[in-house]
Amino acid sequence: MLPLLSLILVSLAVGTVATFFAGTRARYVALAVSAVFLAEVGLLFLSYPGWPGYNGALVPGFAESESYPWIHLSWMQINYTVGVDGISLVFILLTAVLQLATVVYSWTEDRRPAAYFGLVLLTCFGCFGVFVALDVLLFFLFWEAVLVPMFFLIGFWGGPRRRYAALKFFVYTHVASIVMLVGLLALVFYSGASSFDFSAIYASARTLAAVPQTFLFVALFFGFGVKFPIVPFHTWLPDAHVEAPTGASVLLAGLLLKLGGYGLIRWAVEVLPSGFHNAQPLLYAVAFLSIIWGSVLSLSQRDLKRLVAYSSINHMGIVLLAIALDSSLGLLAAVFLMFAHGVVSGLMFMVSGSVHHTFGTRDIPNVGGITPTTPALSTMIMVGSLASLGLPALIGFPAEFSAFLATWNALGYWVFIPLGILVVTAAFYLWMMQRVLFGPARGIPGDARDVPWYEGAGMGILVAFTVLFGVLPGLLVNVIASSPVKGFPGT
Amino acid sequence: MVVSFVVVGLAGTRMKRLEWGGWVAVAFSAAALLVGLLIGVGEMLSPGSYTDRQYTWLHLPPAPGAFPHGVSLVVGTLVDPISALMLIVVTVVGFLVMLYSIEYMHRDQGLPRYYSELSLFLAAMSGLVISDNLLEFFIFWELVGLCSYFLIGFYYERPAVASAAKEAFLVTRVGDVMFLLGVFVYFYYYATSGPAGGWAANGFVFTRGTAPFLAGSMGGSSPLLTVAGIMILGGAAGKSAQFPLHVWLPDAMVGPTTVSALIHAATMVAAGVYLLAVTSLFLGFTAVDQLAIVAVGGFTAFFAATMAVVHPDIKRVIAYSTISQLGYMVMAVGAGFAMVGLFHLFTHAFFKALLFLAAGSVIHALGTQDLFKMGGLRKPMRLTAACFAIGGLALAGIPPFAGFWSKDDVLSSVYSQLGAHPAYWPFFLLAFATVFLTGYYIFRAWFLAFSGETVRDPTLPHPHEPPWVMTVPMVVLSALAVASGLLIFVPSFQSLLLVGAGATGIPPTFSTTDLLLSSASVALAAAGILVAWSLWGNGRVVPTEIGFAESVRRLLLNRYYFKAGYDWIGAKGVYTVARAADFFDQFVIDGTIHGFERIFGSLSDRLRRIQSGFVSDYAAYIVAGLITVFVLLLLVAPYVVSRIGGG
Amino acid sequence: MTDLSVVGFLGLSSALLAVGIFGVLTRRNFILLLISIEIAMNAAILNFVYFAGFLGGTSGLTGQAIAVVLIGFAATEVAVGLGIVLALNRAKGTINVAQATELRL
Repeated sequence: MLPLLSLILVSLAVGTVATFFAGTRARYVALAVSAVFLAEVGLLFLSYPGWPGYNGALVPGFAESESYPWIHLSWMQINYTVGVDGISLVFILLTAVLQLATVVYSWTEDRRPAAYFGLVLLTCFGCFGVFVALDVLLFFLFWEAVLVPMFFLIGFWGGPRRRYAALKFFVYTHVASIVMLVGLLALVFYSGASSFDFSAIYASARTLAAVPQTFLFVALFFGFGVKFPIVPFHTWLPDAHVEAPTGASVLLAGLLLKLGGYGLIRWAVEVLPSGFHNAQPLLYAVAFLSIIWGSVLSLSQRDLKRLVAYSSINHMGIVLLAIALDSSLGLLAAVFLMFAHGVVSGLMFMVSGSVHHTFGTRDIPNVGGITPTTPALSTMIMVGSLASLGLPALIGFPAEFSAFLATWNALGYWVFIPLGILVVTAAFYLWMMQRVLFGPARGIPGDARDVPWYEGAGMGILVAFTVLFGVLPGLLVNVIASSPVKGFPGT
Repeated sequence: MVVSFVVVGLAGTRMKRLEWGGWVAVAFSAAALLVGLLIGVGEMLSPGSYTDRQYTWLHLPPAPGAFPHGVSLVVGTLVDPISALMLIVVTVVGFLVMLYSIEYMHRDQGLPRYYSELSLFLAAMSGLVISDNLLEFFIFWELVGLCSYFLIGFYYERPAVASAAKEAFLVTRVGDVMFLLGVFVYFYYYATSGPAGGWAANGFVFTRGTAPFLAGSMGGSSPLLTVAGIMILGGAAGKSAQFPLHVWLPDAMVGPTTVSALIHAATMVAAGVYLLAVTSLFLGFTAVDQLAIVAVGGFTAFFAATMAVVHPDIKRVIAYSTISQLGYMVMAVGAGFAMVGLFHLFTHAFFKALLFLAAGSVIHALGTQDLFKMGGLRKPMRLTAACFAIGGLALAGIPPFAGFWSKDDVLSSVYSQLGAHPAYWPFFLLAFATVFLTGYYIFRAWFLAFSGETVRDPTLPHPHEPPWVMTVPMVVLSALAVASGLLIFVPSFQSLLLVGAGATGIPPTFSTTDLLLSSASVALAAAGILVAWSLWGNGRVVPTEIGFAESVRRLLLNRYYFKAGYDWIGAKGVYTVARAADFFDQFVIDGTIHGFERIFGSLSDRLRRIQSGFVSDYAAYIVAGLITVFVLLLLVAPYVVSRIGGG
Repeated sequence: MTDLSVVGFLGLSSALLAVGIFGVLTRRNFILLLISIEIAMNAAILNFVYFAGFLGGTSGLTGQAIAVVLIGFAATEVAVGLGIVLALNRAKGTINVAQATELRL
């Protein structure tokens, strides 16, 4: 009965603090912390659910959970409750992988390295907290804890318009999280839950009448949706991505967007079934809109990072669609897609960053024919693009396949919309590759060299996972499907 | 055994940066050839046997509706008569092309890339051939498409090449999306209305080896199955460059000639036909589907042949001819004779690869693909001229060359179905007319290149016969271009085709073809050759293409403006929409947000003015606030409390 | 004592308060400002003293104690205030509060 989750949380926190005070050696500390984190999570993942610390009974449905009293008043019971099921475990794995890749990728960051690596670790710490928290207040604290380091990462290490982008990011997500907080508190108090715990809310909120459930669901959907981001609340994303330093972009696309998806699944879809059911048309509409909008807009982008940012909107639209289908197949597809998108968009932002470092610009028309100069980088761009457009044997395919199969099953010929958009997605990636990788050399500085080892290693980690789960998706799917929610077979 | 074969193919991709890397790839493909031939001979000796091995790749959780027990996705290897036939094609042509590449490519940069991609292609293509369900088929289908993309883009520094590679990927992608939907529909159909037991109980396992469920449903009708069939047809049309997704294949000729021979003539483009054949044998098409398939195939056969008539580029002439021949195969499958289509695929693979390799030999010698610059090559390149002629005769369908037997089967099988559906008539006539065009265009190319006294463009290098690594594959393929059609008289090969046909789709007759029909088609082909000779023979060059008005010629050269139209849709249509959407995003959506920002900004700007800095003002605000609080507490609060009725 | 005297005392202290506030709001001279604040303060102290006498006993003692503390407060306040006056005079060469408008963005 080891409190494993808390141990990981504490070790991560200690590591983060240590990184802040490590001065010029911060990167070594950060690397060590990330490696240990990944090792811990990997153990957790591999041994799930039959591992030694298994104590599933404490919070029903969660393979590993801990609960300690925190703030107990006559009218509210707040606990420190953490736990994981298959869904959160997948996100935790994603956190660990992206953290390690980001730290390696940013190895030679020389502007206040201690602060930089500390903030990166703090972001991941917050995300980890969000994924394990099973108490409303704890969840919200971690949720907000993610915002602050990201704000500083964009605002201090970012590009020329970083102040604007950081502020926009902060205002958007903060407004959304206030609405989300109101929704969560209403969930607790309106449903008369006995405590702030997930299990208590789960027990009481499901019995609410349909109308209040719908209101609560829509409020929560807005709160989580801005993080997704859903059209039309998406414009913070391209700006934030373009201005953010590469490491922050990776975390932003890979993890922060997933917070919205995870939150929606955990705190809204599962908890408010009738509200979810009533809001389904809204979800479908928003999902289709995001899918189309993200893809079409990607086609017109000149900036590589903006292109990837808009393609994220497209992919997260598919995630939303899969969630909205209300089947365990769809839910699995959504979680799988989010993992896939986390890894692949991380990779795509890394290559965008490397293109910027190597050629001094990310403007697609201004740089071309880079393959002879930088074969390794070109290969990475290809792998990322192909994975993103859903090529089999890479991680995007099994995820998208599940999503579209579920869509076909639930909606019939509506599946033509996302399937047709696949062609547009292929078009903008292929067009980008045609212009950037192939053709005669354009805009290549004389001293351009292939990516340095650390950037290559950072990308290599993500490529490895892209291929691994693309060829053997069962490793991931079986873990997700063992979560006892939504009619999954259960542990 | 079969698994090891795929592994061997993959291992070929491992060799990197070796001087003799090409030979390693040749060795691997030779091993693959051995395995392929063993399997093929094994199938012939014991017809009807099949080996099916399956592994669960992924088990997906349930979804209400069609999949209450979840979905099991399997991968497996299936060796049966059909896949054995295809495996022979893939490995034979693969090995010969690999050998040919040693000399043909030796001056190029990036050879490790070339050989590893070609090896990967062979592995993926073999995987496609032996895959035992539609999903696995789709996975390998995409992988061969990827290899095709890479290999078309081999000379990626040239803008035209980069563009052609993108175009090939994108156009086939349209087909792939339809294919994927077709897979979904079949999944759904079998999960809901398939026979009980077997796979329905275990979630869903889709196997084509175990039971031809709907074999009897050929020509039946079911809306869902019709949709599925049309979607599969769309996928096949993308891969096999059928109308209206045909535009990419001629452009794909910018890749190395070896790649054109292997991927864009013999194997990958035939995968679409293979898909249709497999679907028709094991899943079945409805009557509507069949008509659609015949229509697409028949129309494409004629449509592509017309474009081949005027083209000056030797490779593109052969490419159009490939599209046209693929149309024949599609047509045969649509008419319900899948094995006839596959038989034509089998022979076509050899003589078309032969034509490409012979053309490659010319290009290798002269460095140009323009027919009007060549001429008189018969003397210095005697062997190549002979090989090209054999390929041309086979293509035109002159007995006893291979094309005669298979093309004749295609025509007679469609002819036998004319009574079933009057709408088949126009497409049959189109296909019949194509025979004439085929004879004409391929011999126009031969006369332009080989007849006459000397090379027309004096700046070109002096032509010479290539070394043995290039001639040996050509000679072997020439032999096959003769023999593969005669195989039909070998009983074990015949039974391979018959057994492969399963319950339905038995070819009408292989030996007693309708004499009238075949003599008519031979006469047409011979007439085409004669016309070509009279116009272009002995090195003559017709100044303007006689018989075609200049405008028609331009129409054909511009491919009926399909390419331009698609480019327009892509570049003008979609891209303009995308720009407009971007404008909307930046100025309307973001503009709204910035509008809010401005409103609050100006409000706060106004509010800021009261912060004057005068201490006395602040004191006044304090007093005013105090008074407000007093008023609220003493006057308003009691009133509100009394109204609410609280304590 | 009579109710009238309560009213009278309250009236007196209210008047003092009003005078003090009026002075605070209208005077520009810092020293006059300080004097006005003292007047307003004295209104409060007067109230404490009066009600201490009015209630008598231990409660009254509390009122007287607070009044004494407040007188101490007033003295320190004036000391600080005069310190500010001196500083202001040194910085600006004037003790007119209208000249000291740094208390804003």
